[in-house]
Amino acid sequence: MADSLAPAMDTAIGTLRKRFSLKLSLSSIPVLAWLVLIVLLPNLLLIGTSFLKSSAGVMLFEPSLANYARIWNSVGFWVLLGRTLSFSFIACVVATVIAYPLAFYVGRVVRQHKTLFTILVVIPLWISLLMRIFAWRVILGQSGVLNAFLVSSGILDGPSDAFLYSPSSVVIVFAYISVPFIFISTMGAFEKIPRDLIEASQDSGATALQTFIHVIWPLTRRNLAIGFSLAFLVTVGDFVTPAMIGGIDGTTLGVVVSTQFGFANNWPYGAAVAVALMLSVAVLLGIIIALTPSRGVMVGGEAEHSTEPPAASSRWGRRLGATGYAAGLAYLYAPLAIIVLFSFNAPNLQTFPLEGLTLQWYRELVQDQSLLEAAQRSVIVAVCVVSVSVTVGTSFALIIHYARLKGARFYEMAFALPIATPGVVLGIEMVLGTELFGIPSGITRIVFGQMSFVMPVTLLLLLVRLRRLDPSLMEASLDLGANRWQSFAYVLFPIIRGTIVASAFLGLTLSADDVMVTLFLSGGSPTLPIWVFNQMRFGFTPSVNAVFSILLIACLLVVTVAHWRTTRKAAKAPG
Amino acid sequence: MGTLETGPVLSLAGVSKTYEGAEKPALDKVSFSVKPGEFFSILGPSGSGKTTILRTVAGFERPDKGEIVMAGEVVNAVPAFKRDVRTVFQSYALFPHLTVRENVEYPLRMRGEPKASRQKKAEEALALVELSAFSARLPHQLSGGQRQRAALARSIVSRPKLLLLDEPLAALDLRLRQQMQHTLVALQKELGIAFMYVTHDQGEALSMSDRVVVLHEGKIAQLATPREIYFAPENEFVSRFVGRSNLIAVDFKSEGNSFVGTVDGTTIPGLVSQRGGAARMAIRYEAVQIKPIRDVMPPQDALQGTVDDVLFLGTNCEVNVRCGAGLHVIGTVPTSREMTFFKGQPVQVGFDLEHTQVFYG
Repeated sequence: MADSLAPAMDTAIGTLRKRFSLKLSLSSIPVLAWLVLIVLLPNLLLIGTSFLKSSAGVMLFEPSLANYARIWNSVGFWVLLGRTLSFSFIACVVATVIAYPLAFYVGRVVRQHKTLFTILVVIPLWISLLMRIFAWRVILGQSGVLNAFLVSSGILDGPSDAFLYSPSSVVIVFAYISVPFIFISTMGAFEKIPRDLIEASQDSGATALQTFIHVIWPLTRRNLAIGFSLAFLVTVGDFVTPAMIGGIDGTTLGVVVSTQFGFANNWPYGAAVAVALMLSVAVLLGIIIALTPSRGVMVGGEAEHSTEPPAASSRWGRRLGATGYAAGLAYLYAPLAIIVLFSFNAPNLQTFPLEGLTLQWYRELVQDQSLLEAAQRSVIVAVCVVSVSVTVGTSFALIIHYARLKGARFYEMAFALPIATPGVVLGIEMVLGTELFGIPSGITRIVFGQMSFVMPVTLLLLLVRLRRLDPSLMEASLDLGANRWQSFAYVLFPIIRGTIVASAFLGLTLSADDVMVTLFLSGGSPTLPIWVFNQMRFGFTPSVNAVFSILLIACLLVVTVAHWRTTRKAAKAPG
Repeated sequence: MGTLETGPVLSLAGVSKTYEGAEKPALDKVSFSVKPGEFFSILGPSGSGKTTILRTVAGFERPDKGEIVMAGEVVNAVPAFKRDVRTVFQSYALFPHLTVRENVEYPLRMRGEPKASRQKKAEEALALVELSAFSARLPHQLSGGQRQRAALARSIVSRPKLLLLDEPLAALDLRLRQQMQHTLVALQKELGIAFMYVTHDQGEALSMSDRVVVLHEGKIAQLATPREIYFAPENEFVSRFVGRSNLIAVDFKSEGNSFVGTVDGTTIPGLVSQRGGAARMAIRYEAVQIKPIRDVMPPQDALQGTVDDVLFLGTNCEVNVRCGAGLHVIGTVPTSREMTFFKGQPVQVGFDLEHTQVFYG
């Protein structure tokens, strides 16, 4: 998702400066309709709502600036804003320190099994956000793994409560969430630097450090900024993490917005806070993008050589890189492994050492009626969301690419908007949108809400694939007497089928894993992650460990099968 | 190009290199020297090891065996950025985020030259390749030929003793390629820098070089001047790779105290050897004489055949003659308005034996 977004966002930034004209043609009508209904309208509703008043939980349709005045004069708001932005910013900086060298290592040093190295870092993106948060709660908690270790090794006299429910715990988890985003975005840039450029720099007498400063950094900083921004947006819109492990000092604006749309029930104020948050984020990210200019275009002849093995590096550097990579993986996977371990642990406590193996928690799952219902709901939602998203996404991608719509880059940017919207904001936008059309809360609402971000992911992935296609393939097919439909069925579809399947899998995990948007839409009929979230809010049940372990294994299976399929196909292909 | 009294700028002594995972060596005991100010070409088909030579000299690969000597010192272990050689990459490898002038200044900046002198030298180098007007552009705003010249300017700006060129003209179209050949030769003479030019195009190698080394499967097939390579190829590979030649099976039969060659049963007068048996004769298209048979009784000692096809090439025609089963001989004849060969015409074929090489085994 991040790797397809990066070029899209980058070109979008360029397009903003140019003037574009939209030509309304027949084929663009469905595309425009989607944009208006699912992108434009909810945003306008959000802004509109923020200018309304609220009295005792009822919205009053009187335009007013009261909410903004309240925000402006509230010291608490500014403190929270500063805290929210700095949590995400510090977390992204920490994640950059980890992910940038990792990306360098995988992108430029690793020669064999590069895909596997990449996938291993990215997999956590597919793994339930709740599980990742929960894992850190287990590690940082008062009776958690970290405390147990510190006490048993004699560093601390007694367990400390300083780790959990603090700003630092929020930053730790945000950084943990951010690493894969920054990694995948920068990896692409590292990989794209042709070997020739590095060698030309060495040939010109540049030392390794000079080459880094004058060639590698200027060619990767924009992608780093994009990965940074994505991670920033994801974490800034995450209200689950601060709510679960932040404690009082770890609260963020995302939590404020979600409570205004939850039990505080003041929608206009929540909307105004969301708008203020969005504006601040936009300004901050604008500055970051402006600070990392990208100049020039990689010319075809230079990019061709990028598939060659990267320049030889010293054995010492190679070992150091491998050690660093292993450490990175340990950081990414250790928390997950702990959860799986505890799911087989007999006692009701999350502490080491483990006491006795049991399958009790798995047995309990099968007997829990509400859980089974939630799981069933998740499956129904995922199937609906994925099938609609893949169909619509594929046809929109074909329309945008082949109908030569003017301002194709504009469409791309507009569709990317929901993905770039912080989760909590997208969630309330979808509440407003579905409320307007009288769609009842529950499965239908969830399906609409999730489609708003799953469909664009499908669309962008397919657009990237279509752009990489040799344009003369379709022309060749038409030239050989096939009509448009035949050309699609016999030439285009077989080529893009892999991407369609991949985007379906990605959509599946995005849908099945979503909390941010779904929480606002589910009402009394939770999906599986919402059910888990509720369980976690009302105290701990070990069966949550078991749910997570099953989800983790399912996710790993999907990724392994997908990876195995693509490598097998690559092995079959001649040459 | 008079040879100066100093030693070679570059010597390779028994350099061997096998890539990881490869069975055959990319380079197999290659030895040669490049003199100061020389235009030296490495010619060979793809996979012959010519790029490997260039990369070992530039410092991007290390030889397994042998020594690379520059200015009297073994440089095997010296990293690329400390060697006094510059490379013009096949892809040009211009830094996409730097302007043409910043690209050209790059090597000077790396060794810490002050800005003023950097700029002056860059302007000079750009003027040399007639690119001054484009110094503020980014590489993607240039045409292929301009990019090529920018890369050239970047590599000569620091006046290295040796310049490596990796098929620099491969991506250009024919007209530009011919034009750049003249530019390169003129530039090389003007700067007095030794050029080591890697190419698979024999025309480029022959037209520009002082000396050419022909590579075949990691070994030197021949090292000589372009004329020697063209007129006196030392082996079958060189004769086939350089120029356009027929390779004709010859049988040498004992006659007196020497051996006389027969082609397809016809004795070729003047084709004599000190060794008997089957061999192959390499003869260039232009050394083949083709005459129409007008007499009723053609001479016994001339090879005869019928014209299979004729290619009109402007100044010349290439005539493909079939002389019996499986033997085709191609010859070039000057074009004339009045006379031409036609398919099916009976002809006799003669050989200008002065430029013929015979290979046994």
